[in-house]
Order: sequence, then C-alpha cells, then structure tokens
Amino acid sequence: MQFIRPALLALSALAIPIIVLYMLRLRRREVTISSTMLWQRLMRDREANMPWQKLRRNLLLLLQLLILAALVIALARPFIPVPSVASGSVALLLDASASMQAADMPGGDTRFEAAQDAARSLISDLTADSVVTVISVGPTPEVLAPPTGDRAVLREAISRAEPTQSAADWESALALASATVAGREQASIVIISDGGLPDSLPTLPAEVQYVPIGRSGDNVAITALAVRALEGVPVVFVAMTNTGSQPADVILSLTVDGELYTADRLTIPPGETVDQTYDDLPVTTEVIEASLQPPVEGGSIDVLPLDDTATAVYAPPVGGRVLLVTEGNLFLSQVLRSIPGIDAYHIEPGELPADPFDLVIFDGWVPAELPQTNLLIINPQQTTNLFVVREPFETTRFVRQVDDPLLAFIEFDSIAVREAMTVEPTGWARTLVEAEGGPLVLAGSSGGHKVAVLTFDLHASDLPLQVAFPLLMANLFDWYAPAQPFDVTSGLTPGDPVVIRPQGEADAYRVTLPDGTRRTFELDADTLTFTETDQLGAYRVELLAGSETLASRSFAVNLFSPEESNIAPRETIQIGQQPVGAEAVEEEFGQREFWQWLAGAALLILVIEWWVYHRGGVITHRERKERTEKPRRGLLYPGRRS
Amino acid sequence: MPRLFDEKTLRKLEQLSLVAHKVRAGALKGERRSTKRGTSIEFADYRDYVQGDDLRRLDWNIYARLDRPFIKLLEEEEDLTVHILVDASQSMDWPLDDPLDISPLDVHKFRYAQRLAGALCHIGLSTGDRVTVALLGGDRVIGRWGPHRGRGQTLRLLDWLEDQQPVEQGVTDLNAALADYALRGGRPGLLFVISDLFSPEGYLDGLSALQGRGYEAGIIHLLAPDEIEPELAGDLRLVDSESGQGQDVTLDGPTRGLYARRLREWRDEIASTCLNRMAHYVAVETGTPWENVILYALRRAGVVR
Repeated sequence: MQFIRPALLALSALAIPIIVLYMLRLRRREVTISSTMLWQRLMRDREANMPWQKLRRNLLLLLQLLILAALVIALARPFIPVPSVASGSVALLLDASASMQAADMPGGDTRFEAAQDAARSLISDLTADSVVTVISVGPTPEVLAPPTGDRAVLREAISRAEPTQSAADWESALALASATVAGREQASIVIISDGGLPDSLPTLPAEVQYVPIGRSGDNVAITALAVRALEGVPVVFVAMTNTGSQPADVILSLTVDGELYTADRLTIPPGETVDQTYDDLPVTTEVIEASLQPPVEGGSIDVLPLDDTATAVYAPPVGGRVLLVTEGNLFLSQVLRSIPGIDAYHIEPGELPADPFDLVIFDGWVPAELPQTNLLIINPQQTTNLFVVREPFETTRFVRQVDDPLLAFIEFDSIAVREAMTVEPTGWARTLVEAEGGPLVLAGSSGGHKVAVLTFDLHASDLPLQVAFPLLMANLFDWYAPAQPFDVTSGLTPGDPVVIRPQGEADAYRVTLPDGTRRTFELDADTLTFTETDQLGAYRVELLAGSETLASRSFAVNLFSPEESNIAPRETIQIGQQPVGAEAVEEEFGQREFWQWLAGAALLILVIEWWVYHRGGVITHRERKERTEKPRRGLLYPGRRS
Repeated sequence: MPRLFDEKTLRKLEQLSLVAHKVRAGALKGERRSTKRGTSIEFADYRDYVQGDDLRRLDWNIYARLDRPFIKLLEEEEDLTVHILVDASQSMDWPLDDPLDISPLDVHKFRYAQRLAGALCHIGLSTGDRVTVALLGGDRVIGRWGPHRGRGQTLRLLDWLEDQQPVEQGVTDLNAALADYALRGGRPGLLFVISDLFSPEGYLDGLSALQGRGYEAGIIHLLAPDEIEPELAGDLRLVDSESGQGQDVTLDGPTRGLYARRLREWRDEIASTCLNRMAHYVAVETGTPWENVILYALRRAGVVR
C-alpha cells in the first residue's frame, strides 16, 4: 500500500488532543455513598472474571482513535498498484457505432455497456496524475469529457455516453484524439471497440491501445432496400446478408403503408447475400418497411436488431412523362437524362402519339396544331395557333433580359447566337430575353399550360456549351413541374441532412420522427436543412400554413452499412502500418485507490461508538421513569425462621 | 408525644409480645412460662421425693392416698431479657441530609432503626421483659440504656433513643462490636441487631460470640431504597462515607444489573447463614413502613406474637 499524499498522515497528531481530552474526561465525578463494600467486591470479581472489562473502559477511546486513523489514511489516499491499460495523458475513444448495440455480452448486456464498464475500470485504475479525455465515436465524434483527472467527471461522462444508430467516423475521431494528446508526455490513445475500423487509418502520434469488445459475429442484416418506378409501377429490391457462420432461417416481411403486404421464408447461407424483388406493389405505395423475423414466435435471429428492419419511400416521378420530338439533339438528350424524376420518350418529327404527356419538347419542328399540354418549343419553323413565325434575323446582339425565376443565375449577355427566328406570340407570352432583332426567349401560360419558346437553334449558338444551359433547363423543368417540398434522395443514413424547400405560402413545417415525436420549425429561409435524422425508419414531413397542411411527404433513413452489420469482433485493428492487438496492453501500472472503503469504515466505527456510548453511559429516559414511578412500599424481604 | 412514634402505633404495639425459643435464663419472675419447674401456682408434674426436698412442696393429698411422698412440680414463670443493638455507624446515617419525617415513609436508616428499636422495646417493656438497648458505633458499644423493666419505662426509653445520633467517623466492625457486647451485655436473652451489615470484616464472628454466650440472636437487615437500586450513572468514583475510600465504577446497564444480582446473592447468603446458625433474619428496605416490619415481617419470622 502506498499513499498519494503521504504528508497528510501527519494529521494523525490529532490523536494527541483526543487522548488528552479523554484523560480530562476520565476524571470521574465523586459521589459519596453509604458504603462501597458491595461495589468493591463487585468490581474485584468483575475484573477477575472478565479481564477485557479493563479494556472496555477505554473502548470509546479506542474506537475514536480508530475513526481518526481511518479518516487520516483515507485523506492520504492510499492505493495499491495494479496493472493498467494506460496512464498519463489518455484519449479514451468509446465506439458508439451501431454495431455496439449488439447484445452479445454476458447477461444480455450490449457491447456498449460492456465498453462503458471497461472504460470505468480503466479510469479507476489510473495513476493519480493521469489526465483523460473521453471521446464518443459516432457519426460525429463528440468530446464527452475535456482533459481532466477528476474521476467523478470522467465516470459521469462515460455514463452519459449513448450508442448511435450509424457508422462511426474513425478518421475524425482519431484526429480529434491526436489533437487532445498532442505534445503531452506519456500520451496514449485507448480504443474501446468491437473493431470495424477502416484499414486506412493514419499513423498516430501516440501509443495506441485496443480493448476489443464483443463475442459473437452472427448477424443477419437487410443491407439494401430500394424502390424504383419501372414503367410507372413501384418495384422493390431487398438484399439480405448473413455475416454469421451458420445458415440463417428468417422470415422477410414487407409492410406497405403500415399493412403487411407479404412475408416469405428464406434461408440465407453463411457469408452470402440473398436478393429479393417485388414488382406487384400498388401504385399508391408510399412507405415500405422490410423486416427480418425469426421463424419461431418469440425468438430472435441475431444480437443486433438495428439492421433487421429497413424502410424505403416510393417517390413517383415528379416530372412525369416527357416527349422529345427532334431529329436528333445530343444536348437535349443529355440534359433530359440528368434531370431527376422524369420519364423521357424520344420520337422523330411526324405523327404525335395519342398518349398524354406532361411535357412535349419540339426541337426544330412544330405541328400546326400544338397539343394541349406543357410545351417547350425550340427553333420553331412554322406558324402555329400560339404564335406567328416570320423570317429569321441575325441581329442577335443582347439587349436586355427580365428578372425572372426562369433566368435565375443565367447571364444571357455572354451567350452568342448566330441566327434566330422572329416569333410573334399571340399575347399569352412575355419576352424574357430580347436581342436587337427580336426576342430570344419567350415564356407564358396559354390555356392553363405552360409554354416556353427558344427562338434559335441550339446548334446555332454556344448556349449548350455554357453552364447557363443546364441551369436554364433546370429552371424550366422546375417551372413546368414545381419542386417537391424537399429533395428525396434514397440512401439516407443516420445523421445525413435533408434539405427542405418550402413551397407557396407555407410558414412552418412539421417533421414526425420514426418514434412518433414531432418537431415543428418556422420557415424563415428559402431552404431549410433538417438534421435530426439519428433514428432509423420513415420520417414524415408536412408543410403547414397556419393549421392547414399544404403538402406532406416521407423519407427513410436506413443503416445499410456492411461494416456495421458485420459485427464479428476483430482481434486487431490496423493503425498506420501497425496492427494493434489486444495483447499489447498490461505494461503500465495504475493506482487503485480505496479511500472510499476507509471512509465507510470510519462511518461504521462512528455508529458503533455511538451505540457503545449509549448502551453504557446513561440511564435511558424509560429507565428513569420506571424508577421514579415505583412506589416505596410493600417491598419486604421475608426473613427465614431459624 | 415523642417524635419517632405516634400514640396509635404504640397502642397497636402493646398487644404484641416477644417470643424467645431457646433462652430460658430468667432471673426474676416474669410473665412467661418457663421450661424450668418453679414456684408458680400452675401445676406441671410430680416426681419422687428425695431426701432434702422442701417439705413444703410435698403433695400431702397424694401421700395420704398412696402412702408415698411425691413432690409436686409447679410451672416456673420467668422474665425474658431483650437486647436491642442498633448499629449507629456512619453508613446508617443514610440517605444523607434527609430531613426528619414523621410519616411512615421516612427512609433514613438510622431513624428507621430507632423506630424499630423503640417498637421492640415497647413490646418488651409492656410484656414485662427486661429490656436493654445498646448503640454500636464502629467497633464497640457507645451507648446503652437499661436493663429496665416495666411499662413505665417506655417514655424514658423513647426519650433516650431520640437523643442518640450516629457516630461521625470510624469504620464499622460488627465482629468487634458484637463481641464487645457479648462480653459486657449481662444476662443473655433475645437479642436483635438492627444494622445495614456494611461491615467489611463481616459479622459472623460477632454472631458466634453472642450465640456462644447463649443469646438467641436475630438480625434485622436495613437497606435504603437507593442502596438496593442505585440512582447513579456514568463514570463515577464512589466514595465510602465511613472510610472515605474511593472506588471507580462505570455505571451502565450491565453494571447495574450485576449490582442487583450481587446484592440479592449477598442477602440470600446472609439469610442462609443465619438459618444454619439458628438465627432470625429479616431483610428490610427502609421504603417499607416500619410498622409493617413489626406487624408482619417479624411475626412471620416468629419473633413477635
């Protein structure tokens, strides 16, 4: 046993005043009684029979000295040297990734709880001058405790840590850890994890210790769930992976908008991925949830339930069906492919198909009678019911452009046009861009349909080569088919931000999280970013105007991380060129303190001392009462006849 | 009216008499039957005449009828000598500073002893016994009244008794005091020792000396209530009122229990010793009204009838 603050042992000198006070106290009160004959015999016999009675007189003193000794030793902070993982300046990295939620530890504990225990025991075995930084490694590394030697703060920080539902960002975490221990002596970084670190981590400026957590690698996961529109019908694709060593027998059930749609029993061989496709879902499908269940009621298929469910949202094509009528325009074809959410069809000029289209693009050819739908007309060659076409003009020098959302971010004065047609609309359109010889871009609404006209051949200008072209096309498509409240991208993982674009007169939006909680945000900017995507599952977003819901859509957040689903614990991790294993530890010696036990013992002795004092010294109130109430009569001691 | 007694109590006591079982050593004619054949008028027995017998006691009627001389034996009636020894040692002056209390609840040991002595003497005097009262101070007899006979002596006895005080110093040695009285006490008879028996040297040798002289002894053992159950607590130094010696005692629950047990054992031991030695023993707590000791306890012991 050694002491951290041995100087405080000098406080044992307090025993002297205690003893002095005790000796003063021992000056007994003198009481005269009729005869001490009986008392003398009594005490003589008593001391002869029970030699420890002499000690008992000093029992209180002894107990008080013991209390003092326990307190003084506790203040001096005794410790016993124990093997420790680390000491000095330590950055403690606590893996908070989704795989740490696997409940494969003894007693049904999750790996994260086991990691917390490991961290606590590491902290209790630290040397007194150690400084520890606790970092929780989730998608965003978080410093739970700044560098401190205060074990209460550290323990509290460790208890506060919570596992996340996403993959961990080890690069950032290790950079953060390196920064906290940089330049300190005896720097070490302790990684408490189940592995799953990327192999490409850089070399660290500190000694790295790895404390592996986890026992089982058996896991079945949904590693992909996607829904696509194929010819206007939603098609669902599910991929399941078994990372264990035994074939997994599971039931895959598919829930569509809260109602069970189908359930299939599957066997997934170890280490394999099984795909499943469903193409007969209803067109109104919105939220699709796939989940893996054990074939037996009440069982569980693996220790990590997080990746046994996945959610997808079916988003029908927003731009709808687009018909491109052209003799061949590479620029237009490219642009149509790059615009999301449209279903493009391509024909040569001639007879128009009878099917309805949401948008028809005429390039270099127009029929005399235009279809009743949204139109984009490029380089019209003949007069139609909407406009009159005259001879082309070559005085195409830029004159002016109007301030319009269709021209956002576009500067037309830098675009050269060799020749354009003179187009005179019949009053429905306004000129957006005007050159000396006539309008270059016209737009307007006719009969409830949106019509835009570019009066020049794309090949006769440098517009397609400029960045203004995709911008103009994007602006036009936004105009034809107004944007959804927000962009839905598939493949959102926890923590990914979602951009929400307000529409119309909406003044707030409300997000319903997968667990049912609701968040309402005021709209005070053009686009908003929602970041609370920590939970897995389907989120519902509603745009609100007052109490009225303008529009609502859903998006899904899924784990889909092969690294996290592969929960097999790794014995070693790769840092720089060096593999770091679990056996590289046990070289340091920490100090296990036990002053708490001494302080507890002091309290216990105090209680004993109190009890001894009260059992001995004083007549209790009840005794005194009995004595005073006892009548002084009738107590005869009958003599005996001789 | 004497301070120690009231008239009513004295009247009550006059109906009692003292009983001695062994002592038959009366000198004067008294009022009690004697085992001696004597000169009273009560017939006891006959015996053959032997030469030298007093012819006045020959039963002439028998001689006339049987022609043989018989001596008529008559009952002897004799007096009883009663000795009351009151322990006047310092330990009897207890409780300290206890004011005189005429009520029967006075627990002061010496006054209690005075009352008991007065009562016993009154009984003795009113039945015509020879009564001697002696005070034992420390190791010797320090005062003595009597022997006297006759009812008329009662008031004088009580006056004398009331004037007595316990001694101021000295350690009780009952052995020496009782032996002293055995030597000088005169004619043996019924003898009562009224004492707290707080005598470090013991009392048995003194008792033996008295019994050896032919006394029929009885011990009335007085203890004050706070001697039976001490109302003390804490770390104390108990000082003996006689010797001034101190004894360190930590008075706690177990010690008090032990004291009570030791006291009981002590009294039981005295009682059994007295039983073995054919002595009367009456243990009295002074919290008991003193008449009850005379009227009940001593009666039960067969000393008073």
